[in-house]
Amino acid sequence: MSETKKYGMLIEQSRCINCKACMIACQAENNVPLHKHRNWIEESEVRGTYPNLGLDFTPNQCNHCDNPHCERVCPTGATFINDDGIVLINYDSCIGCRFCMMACPYDARYVDKERGVVDKCTYCTQRIYQGREPACLETCPGKVRTFGDLNDPKSEISLKIATHRTEVKYPETGTKPRIYYIID
Amino acid sequence: MKLGSCSVVGAIIGSQFKFTSAFAESDIKDLPDNFSGDIRTHCGLCVNKCGMIARVNNGTIRKLDPILDHPKSKGMLCAKGNAGIQTVYDPDRLKYPMIRVGKRGEGKWRRATWDEALTYIADKLTEIKEKYGPESVLFSSTEGFQEEYFTHFAEAFGSPNTVRHPTLCLASVNNAMFNTFGTVPHFDLKNSDYVIFAGSNRLESLLTPDTIDMIDGKAAGHYHVVLDPRFTVTASKANLWVPIKPGTDLAFALALIHMMIKENKYDKAFVEKYTHGFDKLAAHVKDYTPEWAAHETGIPVETIYKVGKDFMSSLPRSVFYSGRRGSWTENDTQFRRAIAIVNAISGAWDREGGVVPARKIGLGEMLIFPPDEPEAERIDNVKNEFPLANRRDGVYLTLREHALREDPYPLKAWMIYKQNPLQSVPNSQKTYEMMKKMELIVSIDIIPNDTAWESDVMLPEATYLERTDPLHSLAGLEPVVALRQKVIEPMYETRPNLDIMKDLAGKLDLGEYFDFDIDQWLDAQVEELPIDLDELKRRGFYSDDKGKIFGKTLKEGYRFRTKTGKIELFSERFAEKGYDPLPIYTKPKNIPSGSYILLTARCANYTHSSLQNNEWLMAVGMHSMAHVNPIAAKKHDIGMGETIILRSPYGEVELPVYITDRVHEDVICIPHGFGHTSKGLSLAYNKGARGSDLLGSYHDKITGNAAMHEDFVQIIPKRTLHTEKIQGDKRKTRVESGGITG
Repeated sequence: MSETKKYGMLIEQSRCINCKACMIACQAENNVPLHKHRNWIEESEVRGTYPNLGLDFTPNQCNHCDNPHCERVCPTGATFINDDGIVLINYDSCIGCRFCMMACPYDARYVDKERGVVDKCTYCTQRIYQGREPACLETCPGKVRTFGDLNDPKSEISLKIATHRTEVKYPETGTKPRIYYIID
Repeated sequence: MKLGSCSVVGAIIGSQFKFTSAFAESDIKDLPDNFSGDIRTHCGLCVNKCGMIARVNNGTIRKLDPILDHPKSKGMLCAKGNAGIQTVYDPDRLKYPMIRVGKRGEGKWRRATWDEALTYIADKLTEIKEKYGPESVLFSSTEGFQEEYFTHFAEAFGSPNTVRHPTLCLASVNNAMFNTFGTVPHFDLKNSDYVIFAGSNRLESLLTPDTIDMIDGKAAGHYHVVLDPRFTVTASKANLWVPIKPGTDLAFALALIHMMIKENKYDKAFVEKYTHGFDKLAAHVKDYTPEWAAHETGIPVETIYKVGKDFMSSLPRSVFYSGRRGSWTENDTQFRRAIAIVNAISGAWDREGGVVPARKIGLGEMLIFPPDEPEAERIDNVKNEFPLANRRDGVYLTLREHALREDPYPLKAWMIYKQNPLQSVPNSQKTYEMMKKMELIVSIDIIPNDTAWESDVMLPEATYLERTDPLHSLAGLEPVVALRQKVIEPMYETRPNLDIMKDLAGKLDLGEYFDFDIDQWLDAQVEELPIDLDELKRRGFYSDDKGKIFGKTLKEGYRFRTKTGKIELFSERFAEKGYDPLPIYTKPKNIPSGSYILLTARCANYTHSSLQNNEWLMAVGMHSMAHVNPIAAKKHDIGMGETIILRSPYGEVELPVYITDRVHEDVICIPHGFGHTSKGLSLAYNKGARGSDLLGSYHDKITGNAAMHEDFVQIIPKRTLHTEKIQGDKRKTRVESGGITG
């Protein structure tokens, strides 16, 4: 991988139908313990009263921030930012103290009791470094997500971000998240 | 079967498993038990058959990924498909043949060898056949790639009584389409500019490629209208959700036809050239005005005019989607006929973005010894009671009535393949009654479902990932030949259905009908394809790569497969059989005071009443709660999470309330597939309520298809809070909302 890469994701939530294929694909791909998930779909409250109603679904996961709070609070340095922008965990160093879970404004981390570590989305490094797409993206019927190199202006994700209005979640926390949501 | 005893063969190149010709030798057909590699196959957890790649590591399935260039599933694999691993490794699976030792349903079983179990069944069947004739054995089954061996067995045995799932499913849609177009067309949703969905919840009841085409189409700016008394996910994603009074959709469809004709927006040239009975239709819909429809449906008349106007201005790239699933009302075939008629006069027939006859790729056929026609007539008297219904599929509810009356003869044994009638057939009390009449009940399944639990013998089938199935040619706008091949050897003592049928046939001296194996079958089928079996095994599927072809039926001289050879707006066949040849509206029954219309819902995480025992899916999927509108909840003074009793004339169930604006105030909606009574399902047992306990036996008049929305229920508050712990990671999956999918 090149040093100049910075991976990010773009989410087109209007295409999400809350089918949860991404959640189960991730569970299988990453051996996520039962009842834990690295990604999840947030269902909004139903807006309005019958028959004037509204409802949204928002896929969520680790935002792989440029300024990740989880990394700063980690007492052992287990959490680190990889050269390509992906926030990863060195499982040998992780002591399972959960500081990172408290610090993350996205609620993206969970305890893997069996392994005694805190875990989260890795953008499926085991797949992307072999030229495949993250499991959540690949399996999705609506192809809600676009994954790619934000530093490459010609990548699909960069082109889409350049041509759509996007937002990030909780920018006020100063995390500089790298998951973008298209605003309808 | 042979776990741990297979010899290691086959070349493994990279991660691609390469089938060598050595696999033709019968003694080394098994996969090595430490096999690692990728095998392309097809999912088997619902009707769609999505293409997928099984990543196998050391004999264990690690991951199921979608085949990206599959013409039908288009690179998707849903939550169910991904969770298939859990279905294979479910500890509750049927592992060995089991023979009942206690009373029926008591749950006392003893493990038997295959030989013992099949001998037991064969002896009983022989006894019953001698005493009551072969027709006294009922064979019921649900679609699947090995179902054909089950129905073949029934024929060889000599029973005319096979009953399949269509009359619990899409029999009315198919009948209406067939009797209009002479075929059951597909919809080119990817290219339709304007689509009306009437109750069809395609974003929760996933269907490939329609679901994907809808999402893509919507993103491309297509306009979707959803008529539904529920605010489903499909409704929430639509440009326009039109809440409608349940059971009145036909009024809307007739008003649409009325508007198209009155405003001269139908395709005159097309109608003249290709259709039959337009004048009669025009006269028929004269009084079905939008004003009248507004009164019937509760839809504001301006909305009906607006939908009509927009639909007509987008022609010919506007379609009225036909839907699938069970009938809603007793007049369902006529409702679907009205949809067909809209599509027939709109000019959208057989064009891009329209309603298109499906293509199918031809396969070779294994020539097997054909059984004689059964001597006895079918017990359900389909020939006379439902002359236009599919005779070999039978009519489920009517068959049960005949069986209960022993009219004209008794049924004494019930062979069940891949089906759970206690869950899927309305009015479970009657199903229990029918079971009491049986001297033998045998269930062939992968898990001990409710019905299997009440059987005498349970036979464990290998799952779709452990067996190689016959090829199936899946019809569609982009047709595909699907190969399902095993990715691991069958676990425990499970066996493919073909092997079960073959051995049982052998014990009944019917061996000559099963004088083949799966490899011979595949060889015969692949004969007609331009690629050989090895190549097919590598690709997993075959597509002719011709893409969508339009206009074949518009060519000069084409004869539609109807009586008149044209698209029949006026159905001559219906007229001949005494049915209304043009759809006549019937009002839904009045709701009795204090009662509610019972609707049942599907969820994208389960396939009907199966997969509720899959722990990954149960952790994220919908839970069994009664969805009640706040107005109704206030009337009964019930609060969120409170336990209520739902009572119908046929039974009652207890479940917690979920108060939501997503349902109409006259409606109570419960998700289908809960309230399992089988203690063999450790996760699904006793969770929530079973819809079949509440539903009566209403059916569509023309096809006999079970009508699921003709029932009323009463609410009886229990004044207790629901205490069952809802499993799941609440924070992330939000299962506490109870009804992710409404």
